[in-house]
Amino acid sequence: MAKLWAVIRREYMERVRSKWFLIATIFGPVLFGLLLVLPPLLAIRTKASAALSDIRILDATGTDLGARIAHAIPRTPAMAVPEVIRVSPDSLTAAESLATHAVVRGDVGGYLVLDAHTLTGDSARYAGRNASSLSDMQDLTDVTRRQVLLARLLRAHVDSAAAAGLADTRLKFVSERLSERGRGGSGMLNAFAGMGIALLLYMSIILYGQTVLRSVIEEKNTRVAEVVVASVSTDTLLAGKVLGVGAVGITQQVLWLASGYLMARARAPILAAFGAHADTLALPPVSPGALAALLFFFLLGFIFYSALFAAVGAMVSNEQDAQQAATPIILMIIAPMLFLQTILLNPSSRTAQVLSWLPFSAPIIMPLRMVVTTVSWTEVALTVAGVLAACAAAVWVAARIYRVGLLMYGKRPSLGEVARWVRAA
Amino acid sequence: MAVRELSLTVPRGAVYGLLGPNGAGKTTTIRMLLGILEPDSGTIRVLGLPHRDRGVTDRIGYLPEERGLYKKMQVRRVLRFLAALKGVPAREADARITRWMERLELRTPERDWGLAKVDELSRGMQQKVQFIGTLLHEPELVILDEPFSGLDPINAQALIDIIVELKRQGRTVLFSTHLMESAERLCDAVCIIAHGEKVLDGGVAEVKAKHAGRFVALVIADGADRAEPVLRDRTLVKHAGDSNRTLEVELAPGADPQRLLQRLVESGARIARFELVQPSLHRIFLDTVGATGVEEGVTGHG
Repeated sequence: MAKLWAVIRREYMERVRSKWFLIATIFGPVLFGLLLVLPPLLAIRTKASAALSDIRILDATGTDLGARIAHAIPRTPAMAVPEVIRVSPDSLTAAESLATHAVVRGDVGGYLVLDAHTLTGDSARYAGRNASSLSDMQDLTDVTRRQVLLARLLRAHVDSAAAAGLADTRLKFVSERLSERGRGGSGMLNAFAGMGIALLLYMSIILYGQTVLRSVIEEKNTRVAEVVVASVSTDTLLAGKVLGVGAVGITQQVLWLASGYLMARARAPILAAFGAHADTLALPPVSPGALAALLFFFLLGFIFYSALFAAVGAMVSNEQDAQQAATPIILMIIAPMLFLQTILLNPSSRTAQVLSWLPFSAPIIMPLRMVVTTVSWTEVALTVAGVLAACAAAVWVAARIYRVGLLMYGKRPSLGEVARWVRAA
Repeated sequence: MAVRELSLTVPRGAVYGLLGPNGAGKTTTIRMLLGILEPDSGTIRVLGLPHRDRGVTDRIGYLPEERGLYKKMQVRRVLRFLAALKGVPAREADARITRWMERLELRTPERDWGLAKVDELSRGMQQKVQFIGTLLHEPELVILDEPFSGLDPINAQALIDIIVELKRQGRTVLFSTHLMESAERLCDAVCIIAHGEKVLDGGVAEVKAKHAGRFVALVIADGADRAEPVLRDRTLVKHAGDSNRTLEVELAPGADPQRLLQRLVESGARIARFELVQPSLHRIFLDTVGATGVEEGVTGHG
């Protein structure tokens, strides 16, 4: 045990002391902080230059609807009110083609067409360069809808003050996830949290799995392996390596999660300091239990993959060969990431379920599903059992390959030779 | 198969040489002693215990032929790690590291190389660090695989001093080499192996005595050409090794040295020296292993 501890301590301390660990550990939260603070800050600037005040309104309704909309479009005081052209229904086609030319020439950003169908509350049309901007279209739709409603209320002889009050319906829509375990957070927030967790797991497993690979190759290349295995068994060395590097990974994740949490809490004051308004950012509803599950699945996935990476490291003698030999393992990790969007869109689909059960993808997909949807505890327990069995198998095979391969140099062994190592060891 | 049915006994407290040409199976034998490799059959007992017994490996110090350390690690931390692998408490290890580093001039008032990273050290210094790592846990049995390869004369002498000191402390030293001169100077007993099989073993004096009386050191002052036919007579001379001025002559089986001297005198050559000598280990090695057992590596006159 003391020897295992010595191996673990060396792997852990040498990595935590390195500059890279320091940089990655600081850089992660800084990046996260920028992601939280920058978009709202940028939004203030982009709102001020929004293309919506730069549009032409073709009003063929014969009312002042166009002018009302023009004044209701959000803009800063420095911006001009959008140009309104009142046309007769007959000359609307000609006005539209003129407006099209104006957009193409770049004189205006787009044009809004209001006609008889608009007044009946049926339709309005917009064409412009910014038609694919979700937020612009959302704003324009909102304004138009309110003004049409107001106009129709007035026509129905509703008192103008009352009409204005009724039309000003800015409904803020809040969605919340509801499951048999109770309510928790908004749907969007959950999806983001799920994706973040999947990415975090994916990155850490690949990063630290390859760290194990490099660590094995380093001991082989520097020939220090022989001194070490004269003092400890290869099994102890392998276990110490995996646990030591894994502990580094967990240290980093805990630091990241903690600083991410602190930064999310400090977001409002920071934004306020820049003079930007911050909606209170609801933190993803990740309970301590889910966090524990996250770390547990990281540990499982890491043990499974790092055992395989260690076996690859023992098989080869240099980094170039290692890159090639490790490709199948990396593909196994990447495969579930290709389905990430499908799974997020429908976390209860068959694809999502199967991927969250298979041992090679479960460590990434199961925690994701646990955050975005409800997974029964029996399902989780069965998955954990499956992954544990896969880990045991991977460690068993890896230990055997490692035992024989560690002191072998030269040509990369064929699969047949490796199979013989596994049987013979 | 690298080693076949090798059976040898290393006396406690002795300096023991495992000799053999490259590829003879020395490293394989050593790795089996250490439990890195398992023999297909047979038993190994180290320090009176089965070699894989718990605690046995902690009493052995091992310097492999292919030497190397963690390149990016601080020297003192590497040594602490190696000591911890052998179960030396950290405080004790630190004191020993300091002592050894001072002795081998890796820690001087001007510079403490213990704070440097391994790859900042010269090759010679790295080898010293590796020796220290081998000896930090004060092993009862020290196993050195080709310890002299790649050493400059100063480090080689430092190593010889250390081996002698270890013996004086009552420790057993087993080292492999293909350099006969260092073996002859250092070893109490040797085992010569070739092609994975033992050729001979025993105490150095004993081995030499067994081959004594068969060798003549011959110096011819004048008329060497006249002595030539005599030396080529296979009934008298099995082999005459020419080492420039002194000829090392091995007598043919059953040949009488007296008869050889007589024939040489009769040939008219002037004899400056004719002496029955003990053969060098090098000579014995060449004779016993035979030219076929020597693939490469036996260089110079050992």
